[in-house]
Amino acid sequence: MDLRAGDSWGMLACLCTVLWHLPAVPALNRTGDPGPGPSIQKTYDLTRYLEHQLRSLAGTYLNYLGPPFNEPDFNPPRLGAETLPRATVNLEVWRSLNDKLRLTQNYEAYSHLLCYLRGLNRQAATAELRRSLAHFCTSLQGLLGSIAGVMAALGYPLPQPLPGTEPIWSPGPAPSDFLQKMDDFWLLKELQTWLWRSAKDFNRLKKKMQPPAAAVTLHLEAHGF
Amino acid sequence: MAAPVPWACCAVLAAAAAVVYTQRHSSQEAPHVQYERLGSDVTLPCGTANWDAAVTWRVNGTDLAPDLLNGSQLVLHGLELGHSGLYACFHRDSWHLHHQVLLHVGLPPREPVLSCRSNTYPKGFYCSWHLPTPTYIPNTFNVTVLHGSKIMVCEKDPALKNRCHIRYMHLFSTIKYKVSISVSNALGHNATAITFDEFTIVKPDPPENVVARPVPSNPRRLEVTWQTPSTWPDPESFPLKFFLRYRPLILDQWQHVELSDGTTHTITDAYAGKEYIIQVAAKDNEIGTWSDWSVAAHATPWTEEPRHLTTEAQAPETTTSTTSSLAPPPTTKICDNGELGSGGGPSVPSLISVPVTLALAAAATTASSLLI
Repeated sequence: MDLRAGDSWGMLACLCTVLWHLPAVPALNRTGDPGPGPSIQKTYDLTRYLEHQLRSLAGTYLNYLGPPFNEPDFNPPRLGAETLPRATVNLEVWRSLNDKLRLTQNYEAYSHLLCYLRGLNRQAATAELRRSLAHFCTSLQGLLGSIAGVMAALGYPLPQPLPGTEPIWSPGPAPSDFLQKMDDFWLLKELQTWLWRSAKDFNRLKKKMQPPAAAVTLHLEAHGF
Repeated sequence: MAAPVPWACCAVLAAAAAVVYTQRHSSQEAPHVQYERLGSDVTLPCGTANWDAAVTWRVNGTDLAPDLLNGSQLVLHGLELGHSGLYACFHRDSWHLHHQVLLHVGLPPREPVLSCRSNTYPKGFYCSWHLPTPTYIPNTFNVTVLHGSKIMVCEKDPALKNRCHIRYMHLFSTIKYKVSISVSNALGHNATAITFDEFTIVKPDPPENVVARPVPSNPRRLEVTWQTPSTWPDPESFPLKFFLRYRPLILDQWQHVELSDGTTHTITDAYAGKEYIIQVAAKDNEIGTWSDWSVAAHATPWTEEPRHLTTEAQAPETTTSTTSSLAPPPTTKICDNGELGSGGGPSVPSLISVPVTLALAAAATTASSLLI
């Protein structure tokens, strides 16, 4: 991964591979479980909770960064921050994502975002900010676990890290202060947008996992013979 | 061949005559169109006529007073909207039309008001605009939509001329949309722009078909049903939540209920017998703002059929007339000495009148039971 000025995420990318070595979530006992429905609902609820938490966290952090980052009209071009996972997707592509891909994209995105957020925490100046960020990171970790649970319940494998790079982080020359702040801005923006997208993703999954009652009965009858 | 030559001659002569004719009446060229600012002063020259030429000016066929003239030029001070019209100047003696001016009095445009909204998320959004004050002359608008550095097409609305539609190509974008509009007319030009995130402009249309019905045998309930707005394209993946408000017509204070699911609700604390007004609003579950309130539904909770008035009457006159009720008169009447002998002698001792009432009441009931 080439390190561009302003692309501080490149430096942390190595570190992010640590996350891939999360303890494997034990597969749920399939017999007698109510299906993935309740855990999808739980994941949905978590995205709402996180989105709410992020609102106050982002407000505080952007004020800490100072103007122009905390101005509501701030509309910079998206430069740098290349490695940030982007929530934006073509409408038709998004609609036609299969469940596995939908869940995988969410899982991978939050894994990266969590790692970058932890990097942010390291550099944060005030103790209060560090506390808020740490709390948010814990919640985000919970969301990741929840998504992993849904994937396991549906029998999908968790995405594996890319082979090769070992997690040794050697700090390179610090990019300019302004560009660093730009990266922070885009991280928070992308996080917010991902949480909105996940709510819609999990809505879609919820609807697909809950077939109407009539269909369920037919299904059982079909197995009757 | 002698015939063609005279014909050709005639044709040329006719053409020449036509040309001369039109030249003589040539100030029947299209009138010169002129736009002037409201409140300003304007001097209209009579075409190419000399300043000292003797001319008469007319507006829309009506002669204008000569004191408005400065030589052959028409001077108008403090233009008002009423000054708009077709001005024509004629040679005073020959009444030959020399020049025509179609004058339009108006204003340059003020900054337009622009707003955008997505009531069809995730399909797209529309932007509409208007001028805060009229210009009284024709205006042209030009709308451009930028998503980052990418230009997007805004398709004109087929019905409304101050609206255009943009289709979303990508969802969940972190880059803001910038919509700019410029307006210009013959007197000036203005522009404005707005910038927004995809999520902030989401506002559904109000719920449709709001119907409120009384619930039989429940005097404090009203059942309300409605439908998701038909413009919302995908309520499955983008579910809506609803906000219901209701109050009896006689009170000003609304009651509110927020509903995250379903399109029905039963009000259980309605005041018995009072007519209610009910409205519903919708919002995407996660993003955007609430819709406007729906068209109001009216309903009154179920009330029991009123019983016959006679059983409830307290007037003593009923005890002396045949009642159609089968129920024995309540015992309180017998003891209600104060009411007996109303309108009559106050000196009648109550003890004496009681048995009389009893007898009459008994007679009445016997009579009515016999009637069955």
